[in-house]
Amino acid sequence: MSTHDGISADAFDLHALNESLARTRFAGKLHHFASIGSTSTHAMAQADEAAPDGDVYFADEQTAGRGRGAHSWSSPAGTGLYFSVLLRPRLSPGDALWFSLAAGLAVHAAVERVTSLRADIRWPNDLLLGKHKFCGILTEMNAEVTRVRHLVIGIGINVRQPEFPEDIRKIATSLRLETGRDWSRQDLLAAVLSQLEAEIAVLTSPSGIEEATTNILKRLEQKSSWIRGKRVFVEGMEGYEGVTEGLDQRGFLRIRTAKGLKTVLSGGVREQS
Amino acid sequence: MNPEEMKELKELIEFLKENKIGEFDLERGDLKVRLKFAQEGQSPDLASLARLLAAQPVAAPAPIHLPPAVLPEVYAQQTPAAEAAKAAEAEDASLHIVKSPIVGTFYESPSPGAPAFCKIGDQVENGQVLCIIEAMKLMNEIESDVAGEVVKRFVQSGQPVEYGQQLFAVRPR
Repeated sequence: MSTHDGISADAFDLHALNESLARTRFAGKLHHFASIGSTSTHAMAQADEAAPDGDVYFADEQTAGRGRGAHSWSSPAGTGLYFSVLLRPRLSPGDALWFSLAAGLAVHAAVERVTSLRADIRWPNDLLLGKHKFCGILTEMNAEVTRVRHLVIGIGINVRQPEFPEDIRKIATSLRLETGRDWSRQDLLAAVLSQLEAEIAVLTSPSGIEEATTNILKRLEQKSSWIRGKRVFVEGMEGYEGVTEGLDQRGFLRIRTAKGLKTVLSGGVREQS
Repeated sequence: MNPEEMKELKELIEFLKENKIGEFDLERGDLKVRLKFAQEGQSPDLASLARLLAAQPVAAPAPIHLPPAVLPEVYAQQTPAAEAAKAAEAEDASLHIVKSPIVGTFYESPSPGAPAFCKIGDQVENGQVLCIIEAMKLMNEIESDVAGEVVKRFVQSGQPVEYGQQLFAVRPR
């Protein structure tokens, strides 16, 4: 590989990455792969083998990157940031849902810090620039009835893709396509993990989760154009349309429909043109 | 559900059986009943159905008022109805109920079109994944906390479930 090659030009420097994360739980727990099926699948398997809280698995390429339901996550070599974070928070399974919302806010803040771009958040945690998605987050949990055993937050960010395959061109974008320049995946990874550390610290604070959740709801209202007044279609067994009407106290999206107020529990909220 | 309505329902099932009708949906007000007979010539499990309906909280004797979500499909059993009834009575207390630890959407398989994690009649191990509950793009794998046979599934794939809602009944071995 020549040094002009895009892949080697944006290679990760593990030592520097560990240094920059010195004050977080992630320092010394970074595991890099040139190519892997799915970082989340690997992380869930490692969790079963007693891997510790704070482990991060990231890859230059995923050959089986996953999204929600039957969706895959296009993960070509060297252009995107694909990573999964293993956490073992002392929380009930119900409270773990806040991590899904907090992860979106963490990426939002990190992208703004590195690129100055202010992304939109499509509930619960898709990140968009304009109408196009550049970051997807899928969280997987293994829990007992009353406590979380482990949680894996999988994050895919389109960073340096100069273009997308035909089938996702209309819905996907990358930071490069939006700004006309390449950004360092390493800087983004360090920034996301730093933001995530702050979110985790508040969510697992000994003084309880209430302060964190109030703050998460407030920030989502501020940073997302999808929380209120957006005409949407909700996918599902029986899809329906309506206008978004804020979040309830648990962070679920409320939608005003012709048949009254509905609450969306899982993803699949799309803009209705 | 009052005795008259129970009787009506039993008669309806007999009628469907006699006429070899494979599937039947009924919607009357808030009451929704869905019957599905697994194989021609075999009896549906009347006893299970009766217990199921009798166990629901009834606000008023008439009209029938049941939350539609808690009425699952009723599957035919492999054993004759009478025998199943006796067995069902005896095993009821010993059945282990797997409940949802979170609010979310119930999925029987890892992705649409993929085979279900488990089917009625499957032997499962302690710790084996039975289904996924999803909320806010967080996928929660629900494990069996007992080894045994899956004898009942209370919800449909894609259906919303509440905290603590019953998902499966497992007969421990």
